[in-house]
Amino acid sequence: MTSSRFARTGRHAASVRVLAAACTLASATVLAGCASADPSTGPAAKGGTSAFKPVAQKAGAQITVWADSTRLPSVQAYQKSHPDVKMKIVTYDGGADGSTYLQTKVQLFDRTGEGWPDVVFGTPTDVTWASAPTKPGATPFAAPLDDKLVPKNTLDGFAKGSLTPCQFNGHTYCLRNDIAQVVLWYNKSLMDKWGYRPPTTWAEYEALGQKVAKDHPGYLVGSVGDTNSHESYFWSSQCPAFNLTKADTLRVNLQDPKCTRMATLLDKLISAKAVTTQGFFSQGFAKNSGSKVLMAYGPSWYGQYVFKAAFHTPAKQIAAAPPLTWPGETTASTGNVGGGVWMVSSHSANLKASTDLVTWLTTSNENQASAPTYPAYAPAAKAWLANPANSNYFADDVSGPFQQAADEVWTGWSNTKFSDATSWSSVVLPALTGGKSLVSTLPAWQKAISDQAKANGYKVTDR
Amino acid sequence: MTWNPAPMRLRTTPSRTASAVIIGLLLAVLLVFFVLPVIWLLLAPSKTAGQIVHDNPLSFGSFGRIGDAWRHLFSFENGAVLTWLRNSAVYALGSLVLTLLTSVPAGYALALTRFRGRKVLLAITLVTMIMPSATLVLPVFLELNKFQLIGTAWSVILPFSFYPFGVYLVYIYFATSMPRDLLAAARIDGCSEWQLFIRIALPLAKPVIGLVAFFSFVGNWNNFFLPYLVLPNSDEFPIQVGLNQLLSSTPSFNPVAGAGLDITIPELALAIIIAILPVLVLFLFSQRALVSGMLAGATKE
Amino acid sequence: MTLLDSQPVAVAAPPRHGVLPRRRGGTAGYFFVAGYTLLLLVFGVFPTGYAFYLAFTNDHGQFTGINQFTRVAQDYRFLPAFGHILVYLLLWLVVLVVLTVLTAVVLRSRLRTSVSALLRFLYYIPGALAGVASVLVWLFMLDPDVSPVSWLLRGLGMDSFAAVLSPGNLPVIFMLIAFWTGAGGWMVVMYGALNNIPDEVIEAARIDGAGPWRTAWSIQIPMIRQWITYMTILAFAAGTQLFVEPQLLQTASLGRVSPTWSPNQLAYVYAFQQGDFNGAAAISVFLLVLGLLCAGLLVWRSNMFTLDEK
Repeated sequence: MTSSRFARTGRHAASVRVLAAACTLASATVLAGCASADPSTGPAAKGGTSAFKPVAQKAGAQITVWADSTRLPSVQAYQKSHPDVKMKIVTYDGGADGSTYLQTKVQLFDRTGEGWPDVVFGTPTDVTWASAPTKPGATPFAAPLDDKLVPKNTLDGFAKGSLTPCQFNGHTYCLRNDIAQVVLWYNKSLMDKWGYRPPTTWAEYEALGQKVAKDHPGYLVGSVGDTNSHESYFWSSQCPAFNLTKADTLRVNLQDPKCTRMATLLDKLISAKAVTTQGFFSQGFAKNSGSKVLMAYGPSWYGQYVFKAAFHTPAKQIAAAPPLTWPGETTASTGNVGGGVWMVSSHSANLKASTDLVTWLTTSNENQASAPTYPAYAPAAKAWLANPANSNYFADDVSGPFQQAADEVWTGWSNTKFSDATSWSSVVLPALTGGKSLVSTLPAWQKAISDQAKANGYKVTDR
Repeated sequence: MTWNPAPMRLRTTPSRTASAVIIGLLLAVLLVFFVLPVIWLLLAPSKTAGQIVHDNPLSFGSFGRIGDAWRHLFSFENGAVLTWLRNSAVYALGSLVLTLLTSVPAGYALALTRFRGRKVLLAITLVTMIMPSATLVLPVFLELNKFQLIGTAWSVILPFSFYPFGVYLVYIYFATSMPRDLLAAARIDGCSEWQLFIRIALPLAKPVIGLVAFFSFVGNWNNFFLPYLVLPNSDEFPIQVGLNQLLSSTPSFNPVAGAGLDITIPELALAIIIAILPVLVLFLFSQRALVSGMLAGATKE
Repeated sequence: MTLLDSQPVAVAAPPRHGVLPRRRGGTAGYFFVAGYTLLLLVFGVFPTGYAFYLAFTNDHGQFTGINQFTRVAQDYRFLPAFGHILVYLLLWLVVLVVLTVLTAVVLRSRLRTSVSALLRFLYYIPGALAGVASVLVWLFMLDPDVSPVSWLLRGLGMDSFAAVLSPGNLPVIFMLIAFWTGAGGWMVVMYGALNNIPDEVIEAARIDGAGPWRTAWSIQIPMIRQWITYMTILAFAAGTQLFVEPQLLQTASLGRVSPTWSPNQLAYVYAFQQGDFNGAAAISVFLLVLGLLCAGLLVWRSNMFTLDEK
């Protein structure tokens, strides 16, 4: 019995070897004329035909709305005030924490030819793939809103640069829900107590940081340890880290003076221990150092969600100041950390209802005045600032700095198909934790960005 | 009959004490390793989010806080948690029935009947168990769509019912623990295969059926990836996918998204506890079957 | 973790020596396997075949030979991912096999049944926590600022969550999480396997003067060799497909862990972020080959499929 099994295995092994040899030979011959393996849906892919052809419209057709849990109440409020509009509301994660749920589902829907939602809430990264076909022959998921759907007046009312992430191939594919313009946050009570004035230039910021480290060790003027700290600092410095010169060409040059000036500044403050490499959002930070944050350079939502909710800093202590300038600048540039977008599906059978909904959501005072974060639409932003709930907590009037910063967001930090946080979080942050300086990590960071860009189909240049 | 040795109480030589110490240490370290995080989890809903970070990790907060967490959790998206739990039950139980109906006869046939392609079936099963998941989703989705199943419970129940591990379990049990003479005798007496299966094999296979049922239920209850991708509406989600949505509504993981939703770490911990209770209860009750499952056949002669 | 299963388990028993039955041929077998075969074809064979089709074509449907494979192998994340998974597999298999077998032997032979049952239950509990549950728990366990074992973490020189997540520690962390959720179930299985050993054999060894360790090493463990083999194969396969733990730790750490740490994650990114199903399929085929090599080797060496031929 045993011997026959081995004999069988032996013959079996021999025939397997022959088969393998035959296969290799066959494939070698075939390989000669094989097609390219590269995907044809890279960033250079154009959005189908130049004119947007909507599908057959049915007035009064039900629209499916995908919102995240935070935006759900707004959508429900719309349904309540517009009972004639038939809506099906679905919640999902909204693209939070790098989730690619929307992209995944749309790709699946594209392959089956049905099932797309009419209105979705997503992240700016979602627009990068939604404005192009997901496979050869498919229609891009997002409808170009500037093409007879949303009037130009409305589009012009958005804060300067806030619709740039939505713009591809000369069209606008989404409406920006909120922006997160970076401002200088500071603890006014502490600053007053110690006789400091809030800085207006980066040189003053650095000097103040050194002073605080000497006179009040343990107190912090900023953090670079979060997954998006680079957007607060390097974007504000106009560093060409994610600069799309063409739709498919990314310019990355971290040795540019605009990058090294920020890296050097931060390195000095990090060694002085005035800027921490631990993130504001790490679990232990609030416990250990939450009350020791004198200043922070971060987005407009830091006030409510970091100082109030996470650090529990008492009311009337925190204030905001406009973005800082570099020598020779009259207008500052600042960064942006987040912000969601609303898109309308190009497959929608009721474009009117869909567009009305997203317009209401992004531009109406009714909705945006009580929104959790600063609206991108300028008039709605004014209403937001006028809402006491959004400004009661602060020591000073934040409208000035917020509005000024809203128009100073640098448009040279482009919205790419890949998240700009990946390379920072997985290369730079561990290096900083390990004690390396930012300046010495710039080459590794540059390489990580280039590699990731190339993997996503971009051409990479450094000039 | 379980052989249960009396603990060795003969001469306590140094080597025996040493080995007793080693054993004790091993079991204690494992106990702490496995159980400490669970204790933390059980205590979490009794504290506020701030207390979880500031106070001793193993301290107890208050019962009142548990009540608060409960209320916050069940008002999230108008009681979505209950819907999710109900969906999980439907998917897990539905696929459990189908799994048993298909896997048990298949395992029996693979072990105790002869037909062409038997070995091939075993080999193919092994290969499909090893294939990574990311690329299998697309074809499964396309198939489900072709049969108009997307959006129905079947889109989850049918893939769940494919349980090759269950088939292997049953296969090996029948191959090694069935009393052959009994089968041979029954065949000689003229029993058909079907009668053999129903009258003789099944009753003897109760332990392994319990085993397959348990692991199938647990696997499907905990499965995240397939329902996440295949279900279009949040009110069809099972609890695991729902937990993911709760996670992205927690400020600790998503600073801005948590606005006004009251979902913090304690609520998330409470949701997790609720989600795992059915599995733990089931395990408690089926412990005996799980262990004796392998045993029953061994001594029956 | 595979798409369709999250708690793989397998059962095998030492081969029985006895009279070989004469099995009847016939069509009854076909009816019995019909239901399962249908499911196998629909959810096993077709998807795997389609994945192979994708791995050899591009998105226009043209045949590409091995170009997909060479293209993904040149991706800058490919080698690091496979490097990570091999280190992880080594750690994982060694720790899993040694500790589960050792613990099962101890539970079986050195303790009262009630204590043994209680410990088995307690060791199993984490197995019920899948996905999101483990993320939350381990986020707190690994952060020295809030963890119950912060003294241990600080003692090992790690003062912050960021330090704990340094790249060199990651294989160990994932191994710990995988062990935490998976070992309990395997211990139950090994325990059951040990239960299968006939009393007479153990009794005979005891009479011969073998101490408990000697019995374990020379008799019990060899007799459950095929169970151990089965566990190794399945653990290896599950290990190559590591996805949940690194993915969720990436969320919990707000991005400090690379989103393509494991090859399965890389395949996922290819499929669902870059929209490149062909590349994803190519990576999956690499993983499949890796898993099959091990499975094939172990199956061949231990003669598992020939169970019934003995």
